[in-house]
Amino acid sequence: MGFSFVAVPLFYAQEPTAITLSQQVKDLFRRMANAVVKIHGVDEHCEIAGTGFFIDPTGTLYTAYTVGGEADNFTIEFNGKKYPARQLLADIRSGTAILKIDAVTPALPIGKSEELEVATPVVSIGYPLDLPKTPSFGMVAGFDRKYLGRYFSTTHLRLNLPTQRGEAGAPLLNMKGEVVGIVVSSLENNSSCYAVPIEVAEKIRSDFVRFGEARHGWVGINVSEAPAPVEGSRAEMTEIMEATPAANSGVKPGDILLQVGRTKVTQPEDVLDASFYITAGDTVPITVVRDGKKLTFNVQAEIHPASERRPLIASPTINRAIPLKLDSEGRRTP
Amino acid sequence: MDEFNDNEIARLLRLKRYEQPPPGYFENFLHEFHRRQRDELLRQPLWRICWERAHDFMFRLDVRSLASYPAAVAAVLVCAAVISLKIYQEPQASNVALQSPSALSEAANSDGEWTLASPVATRIFRTQPLRSLDQSAQTHTRGRGIPPRYVLDSVPVSYVSSFRF
Repeated sequence: MGFSFVAVPLFYAQEPTAITLSQQVKDLFRRMANAVVKIHGVDEHCEIAGTGFFIDPTGTLYTAYTVGGEADNFTIEFNGKKYPARQLLADIRSGTAILKIDAVTPALPIGKSEELEVATPVVSIGYPLDLPKTPSFGMVAGFDRKYLGRYFSTTHLRLNLPTQRGEAGAPLLNMKGEVVGIVVSSLENNSSCYAVPIEVAEKIRSDFVRFGEARHGWVGINVSEAPAPVEGSRAEMTEIMEATPAANSGVKPGDILLQVGRTKVTQPEDVLDASFYITAGDTVPITVVRDGKKLTFNVQAEIHPASERRPLIASPTINRAIPLKLDSEGRRTP
Repeated sequence: MDEFNDNEIARLLRLKRYEQPPPGYFENFLHEFHRRQRDELLRQPLWRICWERAHDFMFRLDVRSLASYPAAVAAVLVCAAVISLKIYQEPQASNVALQSPSALSEAANSDGEWTLASPVATRIFRTQPLRSLDQSAQTHTRGRGIPPRYVLDSVPVSYVSSFRF
């Protein structure tokens, strides 16, 4: 009897919750779908099709690198019309690309992926195969730094959210309708996928606005795992590379890394997120422990050696460096 | 048989010695025999008549010795039909290019040493597009008439090989 008294109210309580959730997803799809577009392009093999979404009213849109990175002759399907699009920037390190059409467009609001937790419900809107715009509902499954033994350049969001081919570049929305990520790949059976946090794309866009290109920075320090933790950190600097900003900064091999900018470091993996958001030209405060003393060195980052070559396209008028100090806002390291 | 002993039987045979059938009896005997046989047959149900005729026919041709050949042929035909159905029902391979995640599970280092290096040849880290505008213009018409490749790779594109910053 006791069980039935408890179970019956629970049963009736769940039903309105499911209805509310369904209503939220419907409402979200109705409000946000108009800013999601289908992208056509031509790569070196064939025509490709993927998904993208507008992020401002002037027709700028985000998509995945696999859609907008290595193709051209882009066409955007928007409001029943086809618009030619141009590539503003493509960055394989972030897995994102920025395209633009010349039209007045709706735009999705940008959220914060740092507010996500495991089991947070999320929605994506994409174009699977040759089918119309389709919502998918799922939840955050994890925050991964590596997959199949290989490390990502920054933390990726793993989602229990079904995806199909054609949905690369789809926006990942929280239940408030804000973009918190971009779908970049599927997992084994298409029931899960990976998305990059939206901050990743925003970093690239910020670089583009300041410099006209993505400017991944570095200071030239190798980090490995220390045999024992010092001040709570196991990230030991094992090599200071020659002819790099770190070489003459004062940091030494054997220093234990505690902080990069405002990002605390407790293990070598933390360097991934800390370093991803470093922009060449910015001054990066690096805090270490040496002989039991905390020391902070300000190092001006240089452009990452792997991205030193200049872009072949994208020559906007805004291309002047605006150095910033990296001490304003910390980055999330889940 | 008890009421007739040998003497009585012998007496009856002596009496019948001089009996003669009526005139024309032997000429009409075969006809009368067939008539009575048909009358007897028509009293049976139709199914029994058919069964008996078929039975007689089979025994006359010795069908049992021939029955194994059609059975064998039928069995071969059924097997062929089943196999062909199984072959045609298998899904066709997708013509969409996907990166194989299985390749990523290869051992990273043959010496067994732990390393962050990529276990397979990966994309080169770069920030600029692969081709120039001149090169890409040549591929514009290549995709016409072919269904597009719907993009969603099976692995992310962005990796690093070491904890370096």
